[in-house]
Amino acid sequence: MIEALVLTGFLGSGKTTLLGHLLHQPGFSRTAVIINEFGEIGLDHDLVEASEESVIALQTGCLCCKIRNDLATTLHELLRRRDDGSITAFTRVVIETSGLADPAPILQTLMTDSLIAGRIVLAGVVTTIDAVNGAATFDREEISVKQAAVADRLVLTKTDLAGPLPPSFTRRLRALNATAPLLAAQRGQIDPACLFGARLYDPLTKSLDVRSWLREPAASHEHASQRHGVDAYAIVRDDPIRAVALTLFLETLCEHCGADLLRLKGIVNILESPDRPAVIHGVQHVFHQPSWLERWPSADRRSRIVLITRGVPRGWVEALLAALDAEVAAVSAKLS
Amino acid sequence: MSAIPENLHELMAQSLAAWRLTGSVRGTSDGAIVVTCGPHNIRIGPAPSDLPFRWIVIVDSRSRPAISLVAVLRMVRAALDPGYAAMRARIAPFPLVPT
Repeated sequence: MIEALVLTGFLGSGKTTLLGHLLHQPGFSRTAVIINEFGEIGLDHDLVEASEESVIALQTGCLCCKIRNDLATTLHELLRRRDDGSITAFTRVVIETSGLADPAPILQTLMTDSLIAGRIVLAGVVTTIDAVNGAATFDREEISVKQAAVADRLVLTKTDLAGPLPPSFTRRLRALNATAPLLAAQRGQIDPACLFGARLYDPLTKSLDVRSWLREPAASHEHASQRHGVDAYAIVRDDPIRAVALTLFLETLCEHCGADLLRLKGIVNILESPDRPAVIHGVQHVFHQPSWLERWPSADRRSRIVLITRGVPRGWVEALLAALDAEVAAVSAKLS
Repeated sequence: MSAIPENLHELMAQSLAAWRLTGSVRGTSDGAIVVTCGPHNIRIGPAPSDLPFRWIVIVDSRSRPAISLVAVLRMVRAALDPGYAAMRARIAPFPLVPT
């Protein structure tokens, strides 16, 4: 599988600088890059030094809306050229979104396009945060909040200009996204392993690395809720969940929450598959096909589902899962 | 009261909160629950065993069967939250157990 890294972050937050540094690393020599620039004249792709054939600039609009189909088309074309040998057999794709992009539709494209999903797996979402202007940007630009909330990695940039980070800003980031490690880049320089070290997909084990993102979100998110309405929490269940109940649960979440379900990730103990847990991953109303791990990654066999939402109460999610599982259990008992 | 109505009671109470509606949920002596919200009274009870449904939902005297809690939720929300437009679910088909 080819890994796709989505690099997002608000305008001027240092995405292109970070990307430029990454592409100089030996480990990124076989990387295709898709850069989405918003505006009539794109510059970012000129600022990234890389093999010209493997850098594609999408300039007709914002990746998350006008040219979402262009992303799929571009990825198809990249795969075709890789297959016929006209470009390097890249093993990784980095998609740099425009600073105004909602990353969710981009993730959905990666997850739902049948050709893409069969060959390209989402390795993670990296969001750059401007340490100088980040707090003000959060106040002003709602999309920047969403970019931070869905990240698997938060990378603070311009830390050399910002000085010590105010604890209040750190708390705010933690409240927005408790599970993503908070990293710092000095003029774009960062250890690439930090960005991929806890990837969603581990090419060594050919499985989703669930341990990295199943850390319990902080207990209190009052600050984030008050300011942004974005909340993160984990649903933990001791008892196995019936497979049908899980399907109904996900569909009902989608139906009633829609765009308010920013992201969902989890490892689930399925009653019918006690030794092979299911890994689920969704963005808004689109869910990736669950993966089945070969074994439990630890002795902890509880189902753990992390949700990042905009105003979806934890109590409702817990009640929904409990009620649906109970109903499926009752129907199963009646039929047997 | 069986386990399912207890779950249903909690689910409906939480649903009102999730949908930002003010109302109440109470159980009845015959194992049903009644959701009261604004001018609406909704009774949710087990369907008779000779019907191929699990629930009977009575919204302001109009009775409709529901095959599952998913359908019950949909009916209740449609009645209480007219502006609600269900998001079309896009769950990729997947095997229910490892293959």
